[in-house]
Order: sequence, then C-alpha cells, then structure tokens
Amino acid sequence: MSDLRELYQQTILDHHRKPRNFRAIAGADRTAHGDNPLCGDRITVYLRMGNGVIKDAAWEGSGCAISRASASMMTAGVIGKRNAEADELFHRVHAMLTEESNGDAARDVGKLAVFAGVREFPSRVKCATLPWHTLEAALHGTAEPVTTE
Amino acid sequence: MPPYQGGGDMIKSVTFEKTRYNDLPYKFEAGTPHIAGAIGLAAALDYLSRLGFDRIGAREEELLAYGTELLAALPGVRLIGTARRKAAVLSFVLDGIHAHDVGTVLDHEGVAVRAGHHCAMPVMERFGVAATVRASMAFYNTRAELDTLARAVRRAREMLG
Repeated sequence: MSDLRELYQQTILDHHRKPRNFRAIAGADRTAHGDNPLCGDRITVYLRMGNGVIKDAAWEGSGCAISRASASMMTAGVIGKRNAEADELFHRVHAMLTEESNGDAARDVGKLAVFAGVREFPSRVKCATLPWHTLEAALHGTAEPVTTE
Repeated sequence: MPPYQGGGDMIKSVTFEKTRYNDLPYKFEAGTPHIAGAIGLAAALDYLSRLGFDRIGAREEELLAYGTELLAALPGVRLIGTARRKAAVLSFVLDGIHAHDVGTVLDHEGVAVRAGHHCAMPVMERFGVAATVRASMAFYNTRAELDTLARAVRRAREMLG
C-alpha cells in the first residue's frame, strides 16, 4: 500500500490546520455549494469577478483534511486567473487525481502537485475533487449543489 | 399473485392450453436455489452452537471492556455510545480530526473500521458530530488486535492532530 506520507504531505497538513481564504465574501458575484453527504464534506465557494478575472476566491465548509487542504490551495491558486485559465487548471488537477499516466499534468499544476498522491487512495479522490467541482459550478453558474460521490 | 420470475421448480405443468404454476413457496423460487449458501449457513450455525452463545457473549463483553478502557485512556478520544449494555462496538471521534482521515490511517496500520455517519444521520446530529469511526469486535478478535487499534489511533493523532 502507498505510503501515508504521500497522501498527508506536510503542505496538505499545513493547509488543513491553517486553511487559507476560509471566509465568506460579502456580495460575492458567484457562489456555489458542494455536498458529499456520505462523507459529510460540505463546501461553499465564493468568487468576486472583475473583467473576466477571479479577483477574490474564498470558501467555507467542513470536511476531512484532504478536502479542506484542497479547497484552501485551490482558492489560493485561482485568484488572479481568468475564467478559462481556472477551467484549464481544473482539468489538469482532475486528470492528475483520476488518470493513470499523469506525468505531464502533475508538472503543470504547480504547488497543487502535492495532491498527486491522493490518486493512490481511491476512496479519498472525491474529497480532493469536491472543491474543484464546486468552483466549476460557481464559474459556470450552476444552481444545483454539486457532489463527487 | 403471478410469479415474478420464470425458471425451474416454479412450474407444475405446461400445455399449449394452460400453464399451472407450482404451490407456494415454489412459485416464487424459480431456478436453482442457493444451495451452497444454505449449506454454509448450516455449518455456521453448527459452529456457533458448538461454541455456545453464552461463551460468545462473554468473550465479546470482555473484548468490549478491554477496548473501551484502552480508547478511553487515549488523549483526544471521545467515545460515542456508552450504554451499560451494548453490543461489542466502539464508536468514537478524535478531537479535531475527521473520521475519514482517522479511517485512512487505521486502514494503513492494518485495522479495518467503518468511518462515516453509518446510515444514522439523526444520531450523528444528536451527538453533535459529523461522523464517527467505529470498530466492531467479534469473539474471534483478540486483545492484541485491540492494542493495535489503540496504537493506530495514537498514530492518527500524532500525524493529523
């Protein structure tokens, strides 16, 4: 079995303990909810947009270390990105988390590469992807809560 | 009531004019019955009867008492469900650590538990927790395995706390 340290990397544990952008954005332009009821992971993603750029991104919710760290690093990673760039990053992260050969994808996600180890723990992949699917729902204005279960 | 499925033994006779279904319960037991399962169930019942349900109960109570003592002594552990008379299960939460993270660490240490809301969300709400970790013991478990559980919980806290 894969090493636990591959899953719970120091960076992930740091973001779990001290999540970044863990707040609501008053008057957010975009808001979306994600819910994995079997796990009990819940997240709300807030975005403030300006000129097609994500000016601010924040989140609130509760969940396991993987989902918290994923939401924390995701919001930090998409602030300042254009919509299309955030979409592109979503696809790369998703490929890294779910696809077999992801050597290229892992290189192109920057700091988010610390989540590459999650792929070896199939039951935990949905924890890491929930914030990202919720971000996508916010970017594309989906009203229904999203789930990755 | 018409048969829900066709197959061997659910039929009495068939002609072009008329089909007669078998009597109950055969009408609803189409095809080859689960023979291996029935034999296995009988063997399991023989085995349990030979051990004796009193002895099984006593053994599980002893394991429960030992496991409760071990977990209650660990810092950060809160046992959920502490009725005087209860089945040999240990549900607990670890302070500040989500049950699924605990489950992953325990799994890695060779301890299989269930983590989550256990299809009992109102109970989770009653205890004010999102999810719990649950170790279930049977008479064939050992004190050494409970020692492993306690070590693994300690490790989960070191790692994620």
